[in-house]
Amino acid sequence: MQAVMHLEIRKNVQDRGLLFWMLILPIIFTVLFISVFTSGMDKEVQQQVTTSIVPGYIVMFVFFIMITMVNSFIKDRNHGMAARIASTPLSPMSYLIGKWVPYVFIVCVQMIVLFIFGKIVYDIPLEQPIVIIVLTLFLALAVTGIGLALALFSHTDNMGIAITQVIALGGAMLGGLWIPFDQLPQLLQSISRFTPQYWAHQAFQEAMNGTLTVTVFSQTIGVLSIVGVIGFIAAFFQFPRFLRRAKS
Amino acid sequence: MLTAKNVSKQYDKSYALKDVSLTIPRGSCFGLVGPNGAGKSTLIKLIARVIENFEGTITYNDMPLNKDTKRKIGYVPQDICVEQSVTARQNLMFFGKLYNITGKELHEQVDKILSYVGLSDKGNDRVHTFSGGMKRRLNIGCALMNNPELLIMDEPTVGIDPQSRKYIFQMVEQLTQSGHTCLYASHYMEEVEYLCEDIAFIDRGEIIETGTVNTLLRTYSIPSIYIQGDNISETFLECYGELTKKKDGFEIITTNPLETMEHIIQNCRKKGISLSHLELMQPRLEDVFFSLTGNQLRDDS
Repeated sequence: MQAVMHLEIRKNVQDRGLLFWMLILPIIFTVLFISVFTSGMDKEVQQQVTTSIVPGYIVMFVFFIMITMVNSFIKDRNHGMAARIASTPLSPMSYLIGKWVPYVFIVCVQMIVLFIFGKIVYDIPLEQPIVIIVLTLFLALAVTGIGLALALFSHTDNMGIAITQVIALGGAMLGGLWIPFDQLPQLLQSISRFTPQYWAHQAFQEAMNGTLTVTVFSQTIGVLSIVGVIGFIAAFFQFPRFLRRAKS
Repeated sequence: MLTAKNVSKQYDKSYALKDVSLTIPRGSCFGLVGPNGAGKSTLIKLIARVIENFEGTITYNDMPLNKDTKRKIGYVPQDICVEQSVTARQNLMFFGKLYNITGKELHEQVDKILSYVGLSDKGNDRVHTFSGGMKRRLNIGCALMNNPELLIMDEPTVGIDPQSRKYIFQMVEQLTQSGHTCLYASHYMEEVEYLCEDIAFIDRGEIIETGTVNTLLRTYSIPSIYIQGDNISETFLECYGELTKKKDGFEIITTNPLETMEHIIQNCRKKGISLSHLELMQPRLEDVFFSLTGNQLRDDS
């Protein structure tokens, strides 16, 4: 399993495209949107906007890891690597876990780097750092859980990319990552409560301001866990079919 | 020794393999030959335990295939299944680790295999910079990391240059000389003829013939003579056998080619005909292949 994990991390570390999607693009978006939305505002409002935009784009761009996960699994399936690994003593479940764990790690690193960027450049508050780290981990589990399911269900790269766009951009819009939640129409506000993006974004903001209560924290962890578990269960049941296609 | 008995594999309602039985003696290079879609890759995947559900039995040294036998088998897939974005060394280390080879032993094995596949000086280069032949050699190298007793190769020379092909032939020869058993699947007849002692022909999921190369050639090939010369007419040659015009000369199919050649030479001398080319055409495995599988295209397989 460790061999699969090492190879997956090594591949992704060398992938400049991933670096662009995961770090450079969110930084560009964050800088651009903060400069647009905070110009001419007083410092207090600027701080509020920044505290919303930084975690907003972190949450949005975290979901793009699903594209990389889809690519990796489809490549393994279509190019025979999954079948070849099946001829070795490695168990199928070790292969699956070995492929998944590196993405949890990558997403956690991505979020930590982007929070550090926000702290250094915009001096965002990080009042409850331990809580932020726990939220980071659970968001990573939720995202990679959905990503794992998507990677195993997708027939082609394009299908995976399209669904990722819907989940990432649709969720960002509905979850209030682009527009402050209280400015969304009532209907969208109701819908947004069903998106993991909303819960993660709200919890991050409150944890940054030091106002996250145990109740909201527990609710957020619960929602992210449910999303992640649904993804894992779907992936678990789809995995044998994925292997059959890979081996045939 | 590897033995397959009454092996069948069904996909939906059609059989990819039907009642296949064969024995591969230890230390030999066994050829598996058949047209596209004949069932070669399916049979190989069953032996390599890539596919585990099938009817019948496959045993290795009288043991049913299991996790332990996997450690003794190396599988070279038809596709180049290596990670292109990392180096050759990293690929070999990856496959070594899958067999629980670690530490100094792993590094030594990687160096040994790099040298064996002729990539010692390219070990730290990323695979996407390699030529097709280098990738094929690395593909084989990955299957050798666990020092397998049985090496299964599924069309290992597809799309490579003659030099790399020759190198791979030498590798296979060395492996069998050092006691390894090889199962070599290909539809390149000259490769199988050159490398393998025993052959099984597979078509439409069934083994249609097995035997040594020489036995099969004797059984299925029809000997012929090629003749070329000035003023040779069809009427002069007709009496020697079945005649076909070929390039600038004629091919004569005859049951007794040496005797026929002797007669032709004598009669040519008598009639003052000068021969520029007289050749006994060696029977080829390709002829056996066509007589067993026919000339029809297999696009429907």
